[in-house]
Amino acid sequence: MEAFAAGLWKQNPVFVQALGMCPTLAVTNSVRNAIAMGIATLFVLVCSNTLISLVRKLVPRQVRIATYILIIATFVTIVEYLIKAVSIPIYKALGPFIALIVVNCIILGRAEAFASKNTVGKSVLDGVGTGLGFCMALLCLGSVREILGAGSFLGIPLFGAGFQPWVLFLLPPGGFFTLAGWLLAFSALEQRRKGQRERNEIASASAAAEVRA
Amino acid sequence: MIRLMGLVSLICGLLIVGAHVGTLDAIRKNQEILTREAIGELLPGLQKQVIYGVLPSGELTQLRGLEDPGPRFFAGYDKAGVLLGVVIEASGRGYADVIRAMYAYSPQRESIIGLKVIELKETPGLGDKIATDKSFLANFLGLAARLNGDRSGLEHPIQAVKHGSKKNAWEVDAISGATISSRAVGRMLDKSARELLPLVVRHRQRIERGE
Repeated sequence: MEAFAAGLWKQNPVFVQALGMCPTLAVTNSVRNAIAMGIATLFVLVCSNTLISLVRKLVPRQVRIATYILIIATFVTIVEYLIKAVSIPIYKALGPFIALIVVNCIILGRAEAFASKNTVGKSVLDGVGTGLGFCMALLCLGSVREILGAGSFLGIPLFGAGFQPWVLFLLPPGGFFTLAGWLLAFSALEQRRKGQRERNEIASASAAAEVRA
Repeated sequence: MIRLMGLVSLICGLLIVGAHVGTLDAIRKNQEILTREAIGELLPGLQKQVIYGVLPSGELTQLRGLEDPGPRFFAGYDKAGVLLGVVIEASGRGYADVIRAMYAYSPQRESIIGLKVIELKETPGLGDKIATDKSFLANFLGLAARLNGDRSGLEHPIQAVKHGSKKNAWEVDAISGATISSRAVGRMLDKSARELLPLVVRHRQRIERGE
């Protein structure tokens, strides 16, 4: 359970570890693309974690990275076919970034740091947690960018005809701005929590001192 | 070690082949639906379509599916079997990446009667208007594409002109702020029309019969 929760929040791949920036910035210009990319990555992550964990005791150390990449590339190819079968417009919108999932450091990172050392069950949970954390992060970026940049959510217009879309948010700079905004929000939240914890500790320490006195 | 890597590769290979075979039909169906929808939009009243492939000799051949490579076009007919027009695919370099479009040509009217942009990566808010801007797309509802005297090419090249300066029926009124993308559309139509329209006109009777 811990493995699952860590990827989702405490070790969120995008907001905490700042990994996988390329798809995070490139395909989050609409909610639909963000969800599609998130699900594709989640699928690859869970499948590759499972298979790598299964063969972890058989693979010699010297060739482990090559083996992991081969396994990851296989699932990326499968996901490419699946997306094409589901919807060709989504496939075209994601373009080369589907194939680039192979080199997404989140996936290889989880393979090397977790799946190669843990049991299948734990690795699956870790994959689901990290994958959902990645999905959530993409959704955060995608919704802000689509709402501001196109005035819609999942293609449904939110504002009246008078709304002038802030097109910058659909362009690459908008991706950087949005990411910066979310990182700021996350670290502010973290800091506040840390401050709260410290204050609690001081309070309990002084209470203990009073009791002793 | 080698045996193990061979085994892993074998498993991966089998998985990929499985996925490919499993999704083949769905992908083909998706592609066919997309093309059919685009053709139906370009030729309202469409009931039947025939796909023609162009052989290197300049002769036509009927294709059964979308897989066959090479130049091709779609002929659309209404309920009574009368030719509505032919739909041709065109592509060319835009501002960001290749733009793909389909356009309808009517041999009776000797003009292009519709354009639909299928795929583009032009700048959002500027260049991508070529797919949605109503007054720009209205250019292609009657864009003259008459052949020259010996029917080997176009009488006038199709080209985009600066916004507001369209004078002739073969000119495309560009979108202001999206001139490069508009020009790209004009160029790719010109190139494709120059290559394929003489063939369509030469085989017009056969296409009208739908053979």
